[in-house]
Amino acid sequence: MTLLEVNDLSIRYAVDDGSAVHASDDVNFSVEPGETYGLVGESGCGKTTLAKSLVHLLDDNGYIEDGEVWFETTLPQWADENGDPKQSVIDDPDKPVRADGKTDLAQLNSKQIRDIRWRDIAIIPQSAMNALNPVYKVGDQIVEAILRHEPETTAEEAHERARDLLERVGIEPDRADDYAHQFSGGMKQRAVIAMAMACGPDLLIADEPTTALDVIIQDRILEELEALQEEFGVSILVISHDISVMAEICDRMAVMYGGKVMESGRTEEIFDATANPYTLGLKNSFPTITSKDQDLVSIPGTPPTLRDPDEGCRFRERCPFAVEECHAAHPPMYDVATADAEGRAVESTDRRAHTTACYRIDELEQIRTDAINESTWTDQTIESR
Amino acid sequence: MTRISGKYLAKRIVVSYLTLLVIMSLLFVLLRSMPGSFITSMISSGMTNEQIQQIRETWGLNEPLWRQYIDFMINYQTGNFGRSPTYNAPVADLMIRRMPRTLVLFGATFLIGFIIGPLVGMYLGWWRGSKKDKSIFSTSLLLYSMPSFWISWLFIWVFNYELGWLPSAYMFTQFPEFQWTAFTVMRDVLYHIALPIMSLTFIGWVGSMLIMRPTMNQVTDEGYVFLAHAKGLSERTVMIKHAARNALIPVATGAVVGLAFLIDGSIIIENVFNWPGMGQIIVTSVLNRDFPVAQATFFLLAVLVVIMRLVTDVVYTYLDPRIKFGEGE
Ligand SMILES: Nc1ncnc2c1ncn2[C@@H]1O[C@H](COP(=O)(O)OP(=O)(O)OP(=O)(O)O)[C@@H](O)[C@H]1O
Ligand SMILES: [Mg+2]
Repeated sequence: MTLLEVNDLSIRYAVDDGSAVHASDDVNFSVEPGETYGLVGESGCGKTTLAKSLVHLLDDNGYIEDGEVWFETTLPQWADENGDPKQSVIDDPDKPVRADGKTDLAQLNSKQIRDIRWRDIAIIPQSAMNALNPVYKVGDQIVEAILRHEPETTAEEAHERARDLLERVGIEPDRADDYAHQFSGGMKQRAVIAMAMACGPDLLIADEPTTALDVIIQDRILEELEALQEEFGVSILVISHDISVMAEICDRMAVMYGGKVMESGRTEEIFDATANPYTLGLKNSFPTITSKDQDLVSIPGTPPTLRDPDEGCRFRERCPFAVEECHAAHPPMYDVATADAEGRAVESTDRRAHTTACYRIDELEQIRTDAINESTWTDQTIESR
Repeated sequence: MTRISGKYLAKRIVVSYLTLLVIMSLLFVLLRSMPGSFITSMISSGMTNEQIQQIRETWGLNEPLWRQYIDFMINYQTGNFGRSPTYNAPVADLMIRRMPRTLVLFGATFLIGFIIGPLVGMYLGWWRGSKKDKSIFSTSLLLYSMPSFWISWLFIWVFNYELGWLPSAYMFTQFPEFQWTAFTVMRDVLYHIALPIMSLTFIGWVGSMLIMRPTMNQVTDEGYVFLAHAKGLSERTVMIKHAARNALIPVATGAVVGLAFLIDGSIIIENVFNWPGMGQIIVTSVLNRDFPVAQATFFLLAVLVVIMRLVTDVVYTYLDPRIKFGEGE
C-alpha cells in the first residue's frame, strides 16, 4: 500500500514579464510507508518547489498547474469512525477521495489542507535554523503544533510531550523553556525535527537537512532521522543536492534536473546501474561516490532557467551524449532492466521500477563507459543551443 | 519571567536623570541668554527703583551666576518652580492642575493611535500590493500631510457647527444643569474630550502604521512564518501570533518618535479646543512673557518624554527576548 502517489505534477511560478517558471514538469513518484525517498539534483532543479507543493506551501506566485497528489489520509469531516472515508464521500464526484482511502491533496482548499499539514505531512524547511520564532520559547512552539491538531490534549500533557520530544532528539528537556537564540545551529535543527514529530506525521519532508551543518553534526542529524523512522515508522522524503548523502540514507530516489525527473528507482539500482547521463555526471562530481582511480569532474555549464522552456530534453545543452533526437521532445521514462537485458527501449510508467529519461537507453553500456572519462565531459562542443 | 535585570533598570534610570539635569541646565542658560533680563516683563514703567530691586531680590538676580544656577537646579529638583507673575500663584500648583488634563488627552490619543496604527499596518503589510492596501495606504499618506489644526477646524465645522453633536471647546460644560457626581463629571469630560481626541487620532495613527507595514511585509518572508503555515495554523494565527508579534518590535522604537510629534500636535489642539492643559499654557505663558511658567512647562514635557523613553526601553525587552539588557555585565 503506497503512502504518497504523485501523478504528472506540474508546478509553475508566474513571473512579472508574463512568462512562467516551470519548476516542476510532469513529475511522477511514489513513497511507500516507512521508507526514505530522496529527491536529488543541482540547485534550482525544483526539489523544494515539489516538496512544498504537496501541502500547498508554495510562494504566492506559485501554483499547481496540473497533476495529482494522492495521499493516504482522510479529512476528519470525511472520515467514518475507523478513520476511513465514508462511502458517501467516495461516491461524491466533488470530493477528491478514492476508494482505496487516498485523498488528492492537490484538490483540497486552503482550509482543508491546513488540517493535513503537520498532522499527516510535516516539513523541516530548507532553512530550519531560521524556522523557530525568536519571541516564543522553543517548547511552546512544539506545544502550539500539538494543540492545533489535537485540541482535546491538555496544555500540561502537550508540554510534557514537547519535553519528551526534545529529549528524544538529544536536547535537555529543560531547554524547552529557552528561546531559539539560546540554541546552537545543530540544536535548532534538532528542535525543528522534534517539532516535526509532534503530531506523529506519516510523512516527514526534510529539505536539505544537513547542508548548513558541519560534517559531525550532519552525521548525527542523519542518524537521528533514521532512528525516528525506525521508532515511529514515518516515511521520509529527503531532499539534497548531495548525492553521497542520499546514497547513505535513501531506499529509493528520483534524480531531478530542470524540473523533470531524469532517473528514478531503488538507490542501489541508481548507483550500480546508472542509466542517465545526468546521473552519471552528478556521480562524477562527488568525491565520496567516485572510485579512487577516477578524477573528479563537474558537469560543464549551468542549469537552465526554467522560464517557458523550449521543447527537447532539458539536459541536452550540457549533455555530451546528446543527439538529433534529443532536440525534439523531452524523453519519456524508459525501463532500465529491459534495456540492460535486451538492449531495447521500452517505455514504463511503473513508479517502482528503475526508469530513466534518455533516448539513448539502448546504448547504455557505451554511455556508462564514456562517462567515466574526464575528456567526455570537458571536450564536448555543444552545437545547437 | 523577568528578563530585565535590576542593574540595567537602575542604569537606565540614572541616565534618564542625567538627561533631565542637562535639560534643566539648558533651560537655565536659555532663560539667562534672552535679550535683556527675564524680569523685564515684570517691570512696568511706573515702578520705583526699590520695587525693581525687590523683584531682583526675589528672583535671586543679585547673586553671582553660579549661585543662581545651583539654586535653580535645587529648586527644580524639589518641585519648586517659582511663582507665576501673571497668575500670581506658585507655578507648581498650576502644573499639578494642568498636567493631568494634558495626560488624559495625550494618553488616550497615544493609546488609540498605537492600537489602530499597528493594526492597520499589520493588515496592509500582510496583504501588501493588494488593491485594498494601495487605496488605504495612499489615503493615509494624504491624511498624514494634512496639518492638525486644519483637521480640527474641519471637525469643529462638521461635528459642532453643522451637526451640533459635540462641543468644540473647554473641558467641562460651563453652566451645567446636571448634578455633579463622579459619573456626570466623567461623562461631561468624555463629551468634551471627544472632538480633540478625534482630531488628534484622525492622523495620529498613520505614523505607527508607516513603521508596521514594511516590517510586517519583511516578516512574512521569515522562516518562522513559513513554519507556522506548515504547522497548519490558521492564516489569522500566523498573521497575528507569529508575524505581527515580531513586526511590533520596531514599532516600539517608533513610539518614542511618535511621542514627539504628539506633543507638537497636542499644543496646537489644546489651543484650538481651549483645552486647559499644558499645551495651552505653554503658548499663553510665552505670549505673556511669564517665564517661570513657560520654563516649568517645557521642563515637564521633557520629563514626560524621558519617562516614556524609559518605559519603551522596558517594553522592548519584553517584546524581544533576544535583548537582555545588562545581563552578564
Ligand atoms: N517564487 C518564485 N518565483 C519564481 N521562480 C521561483 C520561485 N521560487 C523558486 N523559483 C524558481 O524555481 C526553480 C526551482 O526552485 P527550487 O527552490 O524548488 O529549487 P531547489 O531544487 O530546491 O534548489 P536549491 O537546492 O537551491 O534549494 C528555480 O529555478 C527557482 O529559480
Ligand atoms: Mg531547495
